[in-house]
Amino acid sequence: MKGTLNLVGYGLSAIGPAIATGLIFAAYINGVARQPEARSVLQPIAFLGFALAEALALFGLVLAFVL
Amino acid sequence: MASNEEGALWSILGYLISGLLIWGGIGYGLDRWLDPHHHWFMLVGFLLGMGASIYLVWLRFGRE
Amino acid sequence: MLASAVAGPGFVPPSTNDFNLPPVFGNSAYSTKPILLVFLSIIVISIFFVAASRKAAIVPGKLQFAGESIYAFVRKDLAEEIIGSGFLQFVPFLFTLFTFVLVNNVFGIIPFLQFPSMSHVAFPYVLAGFSYFIFHAIGIKKQGLGKYLKGIAFLPGVPKFAYILLTPIEIATYFFIRPVTLSLRLFANMFAGHLLLLVFIGGGNYMLHDSHLLMKILSPFSFGFGIAMTFFEFMVQCLQAYIITLLSALFIAGALADEH
Repeated sequence: MKGTLNLVGYGLSAIGPAIATGLIFAAYINGVARQPEARSVLQPIAFLGFALAEALALFGLVLAFVL
Repeated sequence: MASNEEGALWSILGYLISGLLIWGGIGYGLDRWLDPHHHWFMLVGFLLGMGASIYLVWLRFGRE
Repeated sequence: MLASAVAGPGFVPPSTNDFNLPPVFGNSAYSTKPILLVFLSIIVISIFFVAASRKAAIVPGKLQFAGESIYAFVRKDLAEEIIGSGFLQFVPFLFTLFTFVLVNNVFGIIPFLQFPSMSHVAFPYVLAGFSYFIFHAIGIKKQGLGKYLKGIAFLPGVPKFAYILLTPIEIATYFFIRPVTLSLRLFANMFAGHLLLLVFIGGGNYMLHDSHLLMKILSPFSFGFGIAMTFFEFMVQCLQAYIITLLSALFIAGALADEH
């Protein structure tokens, strides 16, 4: 079996952003379902949170290939 | 904007990836040119690119 | 991998070599299975929709109803909903894209064909190239070249020094990352799905022919999971055909809108 341990590390580190994205959208869907008119307020916050969580996942991806 | 949330999410991902690639690539080029043994410029490039992409995402989608 | 660890050497895990199929007939690179499948998909789509629309009646038959509901889905839910006014001229492109990708994806789970032709990356690249050309051409035609490029590169309401950081990212996103992500998403889903099915069916086959009794007893689980994954793959295939059409429509709508 060949391969690099970097990718195993990336797989482990991707768990965090994955859970974060799930939590963000769970909260967003909950909020919009309870109060549909709050959508325009919640949407930018949810997108920004998604961007921040996703940034960490992409950092991990890039560093797994670079290091 | 409410009807195309999926599209917004994919374009956010696109912005983040291209920010990393562009500024990380510039940093990588500087490293190859100036100091081939260390990767400081690339590290700075990644951080700068990620910061710029998140700023861009805030500009496009965050402010109402 | 687990099977090979238990039973020693012999199990060959599926790899990218399983996607390089030999020519079906002759010795030409143009008669491989994916290319023949693409031609077959064109024939299937043409025959189906010609048959569905030939005897168009006010009270539709089963075939006409099936054809019309696919068309209405693309036209109403995708084109009209997203593009808005002036959507009608893009319906043929979106409809062709959707049916072509859908049929080619579903070939991945049809018995005896069982190969999604979109798992060769060249086909998604060409489709994304069409979409790329169309949405840039529309933007340039609608707003003029200078204004269109300016709208992409310079976001209004930003301090001047930030343009140094942001403009390269915007240009890279619009001109390089968008077509690549559009095609790679379709390719990666089809590739991974086919590989997954190969793992479970091939692994089950290997376990069934293994001499150890426990492996023979456990092999139906591998086959069963392979069958469950086949149904899951069907869902993914339909979803990916929908997503590539949706994103193409969104890009067209973005190019049509005056401000980005």
